[in-house]
Amino acid sequence: MAIADGDTERLTAEILAFIEKSMTSDEEFNNLALRIFAHQFAYNPAFQRFCQMRAKTPRTVKRWQDIPAVPINGFKDLTLSCVPVADCTRVFMTSGTTRGDIKGRHFHPNLTVYDASMKKHFQACFMKSQKSVRMGIIFPNETMMPNSSLAHYLALAVKNFGTTQSAYYLDDTGIKIDSLIAALQEAQDSGQAFALLGASYSFVHLFDELEKRQLKFKLPLGSRILDTGGFKGQSREIEMNDFYEQLAQTFGLARSQCINMYGMTELSTQFYDAGNEEVPSVKRGPHWMRSRLVDPVSGEEVAFGDRGILAHTDLANFNSTVTILTEDVGTATQDGFLLLGRAQGVEAKGCSMVVDEFLRSASA
Amino acid sequence: MNDSVFKVGYLPGLAAQDVSWIPLPGPNSHSTIKVEVPQLSAAQMLAIADQVKRSSSLHLKTMTVSEIIRVIDKAVARLLDLNDHHRQKLEALLPSVTGFDSEMIRLGLTNYLLSFRAPQLHRFVTEDFANPKLIDEFQPRAKNGWSKAIGADLGIHIWAGNVPALPLWSMVCALLVKSGFIGKVSSGEPVFASVFAALLVEIEPRWRDCFAVVWWKGGNSELEAATFERAELVLAYGGNAALAQIRSRIPPHTRFLGYGHKISFGIVTASALGTRKGKACSELAALDIARWDQQGCYSPQVFYVQTGGAVTPRIFAEQLFTELASLEHTLHRRALSFEEAASLATYRQAHEFEMLNGSKRVVFGEKHDAWCVVYSDEALPLLPGPLNRCILVVAVDSIDELIALIKPQSRYLQTAGVAASPEELLPLAECLGAVGVTRICALGAMTSPQAGWHHDGRFSLLDLVRMVDVEYSAESLAESFTRYEL
Repeated sequence: MAIADGDTERLTAEILAFIEKSMTSDEEFNNLALRIFAHQFAYNPAFQRFCQMRAKTPRTVKRWQDIPAVPINGFKDLTLSCVPVADCTRVFMTSGTTRGDIKGRHFHPNLTVYDASMKKHFQACFMKSQKSVRMGIIFPNETMMPNSSLAHYLALAVKNFGTTQSAYYLDDTGIKIDSLIAALQEAQDSGQAFALLGASYSFVHLFDELEKRQLKFKLPLGSRILDTGGFKGQSREIEMNDFYEQLAQTFGLARSQCINMYGMTELSTQFYDAGNEEVPSVKRGPHWMRSRLVDPVSGEEVAFGDRGILAHTDLANFNSTVTILTEDVGTATQDGFLLLGRAQGVEAKGCSMVVDEFLRSASA
Repeated sequence: MNDSVFKVGYLPGLAAQDVSWIPLPGPNSHSTIKVEVPQLSAAQMLAIADQVKRSSSLHLKTMTVSEIIRVIDKAVARLLDLNDHHRQKLEALLPSVTGFDSEMIRLGLTNYLLSFRAPQLHRFVTEDFANPKLIDEFQPRAKNGWSKAIGADLGIHIWAGNVPALPLWSMVCALLVKSGFIGKVSSGEPVFASVFAALLVEIEPRWRDCFAVVWWKGGNSELEAATFERAELVLAYGGNAALAQIRSRIPPHTRFLGYGHKISFGIVTASALGTRKGKACSELAALDIARWDQQGCYSPQVFYVQTGGAVTPRIFAEQLFTELASLEHTLHRRALSFEEAASLATYRQAHEFEMLNGSKRVVFGEKHDAWCVVYSDEALPLLPGPLNRCILVVAVDSIDELIALIKPQSRYLQTAGVAASPEELLPLAECLGAVGVTRICALGAMTSPQAGWHHDGRFSLLDLVRMVDVEYSAESLAESFTRYEL
């Protein structure tokens, strides 16, 4: 069914209003989630077929927990968009590490909701009471990676929360180490807070560069670090605990000032922890996002404290699919969840070959 | 045995109290019985190695093959006897340690042991040695001279644990060629080899120090390097990454035999798909899938079913689904780990997405089922699935089409379970052999390789020996040094 004039606008206005609220009830969340589900069921044929296969329709689904969770592979195999993709101003793509060159695609008709969601939660979890901070970004900019949701996220951070001195310290030749060192030194000398943001593996490369020069910093009060993405599929993996220890020691910060953002191309909202004094740390989403831990086979919620696959219901995902099923394993906590890694499948035992292992060897 | 703790291994010359024991590591969430593995020091391992070398040359190399077969036969007869306490110990321990259904273990074990009785063992030897006496003493060669086959003085066997009792193959092979050995059990199935070693010694006390069953944490470089240094050959079963790691520690003078990843599949041609015969084929196929929950390298992962028979490939898939459903009543699938369950769910989802995209794909059954059949009308290449009774049925029009689909996996191919007419069988075998398949068996027999099979196309016994030739020149020259005048 072609999308009716103004439908998208009306829905996004409701979502924006919901995001702006400071208090929302379970019922309000449920109502809006079901409203988005009905919208997606009506306007997204691929999603509709998926729901029918699961025998779930807006008629039968009464609780947000019952909205079919689309596995993230669906973003690779199906076209999950209510608005015709030609009319979408932006498409974010996954890096495609697990299935070779097939990339998941998340279509955004516009980024109004995405940006509002990012700003509100980023302010609360990373900026806290501060309005702006000098930022150093160790990730490519949006021009270099127009399809990266992370590049857009970091651009939003700089644009909305960065002082004029903020800058990118990564280009197509790698980390601009000399200018970054100069900036860090300047921050340390001036006593002006500095925020370093980037992909987790960029920090590992940065460690190597700084170690070569035997450099360490003591960043001023109010400084902090945001890393995201983890190390899966990177040339060098590092234990999470060692990573935060090294981060804290290299930049002279408390581990509580080292914040990890957990985000996905398939979502429009991010999760944050409140620092990494202990790992794994509790990740929390905002009031327009709810997460459940489900059994991989039945899709039912697991008992509190048991391991499950993370399913997220993100009200900011208005154009694709409001509930997604990730491949990440976690356990629930009172106000969030612990991320335990990816559901990697099994190592083949003995001489029999299992699909995941094959994929790994094929991509090696 | 203390009922609550099973101590893994057979450690000649070492008393239990001289060894430090740790709980069996790894994800053995099924296990209800406490299992402990020995942590040997390099010195202890080397002492065992020297002991095994010495004793096997004294007590194993001096027996004839027939005498050895008699001992193994007695041991196997004991294990075939449901009232024997060793058999009972296996039936008590294996389900708990491996997670396999106890009925599956009971039936599987008996069926497997049948291949190791005396007549089968004699055939096994003859398979590799037309004249079995070559292993006993120098035998005259047809074109002058003499030859003898000598088993390695010490072989290190590194076993996999995907299917229970797998080490029996290599233990028997080593014994048949009179080779001393140290076998390393896997954390997945450390039981059978430990029990079998003790049983052999109970029957033939002279073998007390001729072999050992040990455990170490894979990748223990110091221990591995020292042990491999003492060995004449190292034989390992496992994933390619594990094999590469082992290979990297083997000194140049030690021979390495690696059995790596393999993938197997089934073929049903149109001639086997008559109205009634087709159903029988799906029964056999279901057994191949259900046995050991597809954990063996010989277990099928895809069935290629030819079009043109009375039973279409799609109907075959439906029948297979029904057969797997009824087998679940008698042979339960073991409980899956979280990761296994996730992998299976992902596999189903991927095929469901194909269905949604309009591919001619059918995913049968419900996500809660303990089995999964996916049918594809589109010719899909052979690819490994998530195992645990998950099978892809692919329709093919011709053998040429099938060969093209399996060819990309050439290096990994092992067993093809076949249902075809007599006219088709050998021409089909020619094609399969040419692309890399090393074993062609009947549908329904995929998980029971015949005694003396060429595992991954290799020789089970010949690969374990070194041949010693006395050339004719030596014999001829000797003639000039007789005590008597010629």
